[in-house]
Amino acid sequence: MNQSAAFAHTLQSWTSQLPILSAFPLWAWAAISALGVIFLLALPFGGLATYVERKIAADIQDRIGPNRVGPIGIFQFAADAVKMLAKEDFVPPGGDRFLFNLAPLFVVVGALAAFAALPLGKHLVGADLNIGIFYIISVTTLIAPGLLLGSWGSQNKWSLLGGLRAAAQIVSYEIPVALAILPVILISGTLQVGSIVEQQGWGVGDYHFWNIIHNPFTIISFFLLFIGGLAETNRIPFDLPEAESELVSGFNTEFSGMRFGLYALGEFVDVFVMSAVLTTVYLGGWQLPFFNIDQWVIPLPTGIVALVHFTVFMTKTLLLVFVVMWLRWTLPRLRVDQLMGLCWKGMVPLALINVTGTALWMWIFKGQSLMQLLAKAFGG
Amino acid sequence: MTNGMKLVLFGAEVLTVLCALIATFHPNVLYGAIALLITFLGVAVMYVFAGADFLAGAQVIVYVGGVTILILFAIMLTQWLYQMKLRDVGTKLLAPILIGAGLFYVLAKALLDINPKFLSDNAEPAQKFLMTPKTALLGEALLGSYLLPFEAITILLLGALVGAVWIARPR
Amino acid sequence: MNAFMTFVDKATGVQGFLIVGAILFSLGIIGILSRKNAIGILLGVELILNAAGLNFVTFSRYRTAAIDGQVANLFVILIAAAEAAVALAIILRFYRLKQTIDADEANLLRN
Repeated sequence: MNQSAAFAHTLQSWTSQLPILSAFPLWAWAAISALGVIFLLALPFGGLATYVERKIAADIQDRIGPNRVGPIGIFQFAADAVKMLAKEDFVPPGGDRFLFNLAPLFVVVGALAAFAALPLGKHLVGADLNIGIFYIISVTTLIAPGLLLGSWGSQNKWSLLGGLRAAAQIVSYEIPVALAILPVILISGTLQVGSIVEQQGWGVGDYHFWNIIHNPFTIISFFLLFIGGLAETNRIPFDLPEAESELVSGFNTEFSGMRFGLYALGEFVDVFVMSAVLTTVYLGGWQLPFFNIDQWVIPLPTGIVALVHFTVFMTKTLLLVFVVMWLRWTLPRLRVDQLMGLCWKGMVPLALINVTGTALWMWIFKGQSLMQLLAKAFGG
Repeated sequence: MTNGMKLVLFGAEVLTVLCALIATFHPNVLYGAIALLITFLGVAVMYVFAGADFLAGAQVIVYVGGVTILILFAIMLTQWLYQMKLRDVGTKLLAPILIGAGLFYVLAKALLDINPKFLSDNAEPAQKFLMTPKTALLGEALLGSYLLPFEAITILLLGALVGAVWIARPR
Repeated sequence: MNAFMTFVDKATGVQGFLIVGAILFSLGIIGILSRKNAIGILLGVELILNAAGLNFVTFSRYRTAAIDGQVANLFVILIAAAEAAVALAIILRFYRLKQTIDADEANLLRN
């Protein structure tokens, strides 16, 4: 675990000239950066996502959507938050109060812990762990026990059915998700998110553009990862755990007030994390297409480079989030047998073929990407 | 290690032992399973401090994301929801505790008697080993000197997978 | 405070790791012996496997400074996963047969 707390190191080095701030020890910067990520990135994203989702839904269905609180209803999420906090703190009688309280924490912790390793920019990684992408996959598995325990604690058969479905779905789809990330690890030879993104640059020596068009197999892998991510975050068309026409509201039937809010926050943050992983692994992370901002002819200050990187990364990620929300109003829900059949008969074999194919490509073309081969062929 | 890191590791150890105690002695198996989940996480933190970064991830993804889910599934499929009857009735605790305590005494005595020279704690190679990333080393070892066990384990996993499906299939 | 920090020093060294492993192992044995519930027994088995893995990793770091202990632990983790899957399949089968998962009821082969 070398290079941990890279974000905190960056903050410390930036502020080392200032008289008061230079006295802060490293762990204080680590705590500040963690709080900053949670309160400046995750919570506003979770809040705004609910608003944006409703607005997109309204646009697709030719309605107006939230429009009362603030200009075009943009403060709707604040009103929702106040409403949730003011609601009665209800625990179903006969339910297990301890499990009921514990479950949302698992979901939120599992989703937020992944933020620590997301590469928001070259100098903006919470902790550039050397097992980065593996860490992200493994901490997000904490969500599944949370859903199961919450559904058991509700003492409600719809909740239990929803929770069991959610856990089965998440555990099953972890396999195609991991297998869809594997081609990239073959290509880049590292699990560290920073260097996975670094290698997807363009222009200098052995960089090989975005991984999605590295070879024909990675294109398929990208879509496999996207579909698997949809299933892991229980989004439509894979929202069987909360299928409202069969299970009332699935695992969060009995949850109300702030606990429901935490579940919803966990779900939206998980969607963000999934999109961010897709961006990092296949869409070049913070890299602009065909242009390396940090190796420009005029050396730019670190702050501006970080800002550009952050903007590029967020643009790609939020576009993917938008596609996820768009799909919600486009596709019908799958049946349980279709869900499992898609995973085990469709995605897992396809993902295995992709891994083998990528390995063969790396062997035949000596690790060069499609773009590198094209550039060489046309003398670029 | 700095004092702060030592305290983090110590906290993880205390948490691991406490949750293992709950997992062993709590009469409700469901709570035992949750405590076991936290034990797994504590052991993963200890792996990180022992320089096993990849294993910590594998521990979390296999035990928390796999084994715990399986255990919770089994609990929920074999109990009636409206009874919450997960009591482990009629546990005879005295003899097992005596056996366990005796075992622990023997183990602890043997482990604390290890010659410190045998364990090169602050030696140069051990410190260097702690800081190197392990993923590449593990991969080379698995496809190098441990190739035969690796292949054997793949066959074992396949057998277990097929066997589990065969045993649990509906008749 | 100082006494506490010396204790923490000792607990975070090699002996701390080994003692935690020994505790997990003993608790696993106690769990296996005392539980009647088949899933409870499985919890004990998982504790023992974790104790074994912890010892592998500890000796790999402190004794050999080589990767071999970690490879062994990787195998332990894989076997634990396979073992849990098979054990739970058996438990579900047994539940369908007897409507209970009390391990003492598994006596069809007796007499």
